[in-house]
Amino acid sequence: MTPTTTVLLGGWGVAFVFGAVANRSNFCTMGAVADVVNMGHWGRARSWMLALGVAVLGANLMVLAGWIDLSRSVYHRPVVPWLSLVLGGAVFGVGMTLAGGCPNRNLVRLGQGSMRSLVVLVFLGMSAYMTLKGVFAQWRAHYLDPVVLDVSSLGLRTLSLPSLLSRGTGWSLEQAELVSLAVIAGALLVFVLRDRSFRRQTLQLASAVVLGLLICAGWFITGYLGYGENEETLETVYFATNTRTLESLTFVGPVAYSLELLMLWSDKSLHATFGIMTVLGAFMGSLAMSVHRKSFHLEGFASTQDLGRHLTGAVLMGIGGVTSIGCTIGQGLSGLSTLAPASLLAVAGIVAGSALTMKWMARDDS
Amino acid sequence: MEFHRECNASGLLCPLPIIRTKKALTAMASGEVLRVVATDPGLLRDMPTLTQKTGDTLLEHAREGNTFVFYLRKS
Repeated sequence: MTPTTTVLLGGWGVAFVFGAVANRSNFCTMGAVADVVNMGHWGRARSWMLALGVAVLGANLMVLAGWIDLSRSVYHRPVVPWLSLVLGGAVFGVGMTLAGGCPNRNLVRLGQGSMRSLVVLVFLGMSAYMTLKGVFAQWRAHYLDPVVLDVSSLGLRTLSLPSLLSRGTGWSLEQAELVSLAVIAGALLVFVLRDRSFRRQTLQLASAVVLGLLICAGWFITGYLGYGENEETLETVYFATNTRTLESLTFVGPVAYSLELLMLWSDKSLHATFGIMTVLGAFMGSLAMSVHRKSFHLEGFASTQDLGRHLTGAVLMGIGGVTSIGCTIGQGLSGLSTLAPASLLAVAGIVAGSALTMKWMARDDS
Repeated sequence: MEFHRECNASGLLCPLPIIRTKKALTAMASGEVLRVVATDPGLLRDMPTLTQKTGDTLLEHAREGNTFVFYLRKS
């Protein structure tokens, strides 16, 4: 099997399981924020943090084992577009709250029969593409992306918690990696597992562990199995990824690229990628779970107001997700699993945007 | 079951059903019963959590096809 085929099939398989498990366990980042903001309940937030803790552990153990090089991911670039990350994250957070969930959640809902989510995903994909290469892209590139923090002037080739720790303490990068991994993963796991009622929720516990492992699987597939010599160019490359480097699960850009591929199928320069296959896999995994549990049923919009809310949310998610270089899964789980401070900025923006929108909804809902 | 107020959250997705339920409960007197109609299956998990946090009582819930009906008594 060629590296390209491995990456494509691996991406589909990882996302298939992700979609099925997210369907079954109701895993939802927006839901986690909503539970905390509206009810003061941390159950789903604990699930999310457990998935992150497992992802941090697995991803960084693979780095220490020399299997993958996370410093080459998009999350570790030394030039940090901090305004894009924070503002884009906030816009994404507003959008996902209006649209009833992030792109992954809408893929899961599509697998449950939601035509509402189909519309959200199409509009999200279009606005994401417009922000990648279209009319929104020029505004992003002109006004937001140039506002950067460049840490290369501090002697850092990449920006990650281990690299900062190594620079600050004089420890080797491996020592810093080990300490960072132990502290962050340890803190997350202690916070999550100290709650007795959460420990008794076997489904939530197991699902979160599986989802975290799937993030690690994504890194392994693209960063180890999909890394090798291109027979035509003799260059060492990462095969079949949109970013041309190692990736794990993320959904905003891949939804846009999926639409592009479907619309321009006869363009031979376009190919399926890891990201595109994860979009397909997540939908199919959720669909399989819905059929298995006999919970599939078609649903549409509740009202014109509901349609307007979802369309607005979809467009904002596309703009925000591209601007912040990832969504709740892309920056939240994949990005943070690499111990990237830049991802923390994006996630802070997402959570703030979502929480403020919920507060506004509670005041303004009619 | 008799109720004093109804909250229709049919067709709405998280977080709106919980937001509407909370708003309706806030406007009610102690002992009054709220009937919530919704289609988001996530409420099966969210309603018990909400009442646990607010101190209100989830009296009963039923499913009619794809619609869920909840009865909550304001504490």
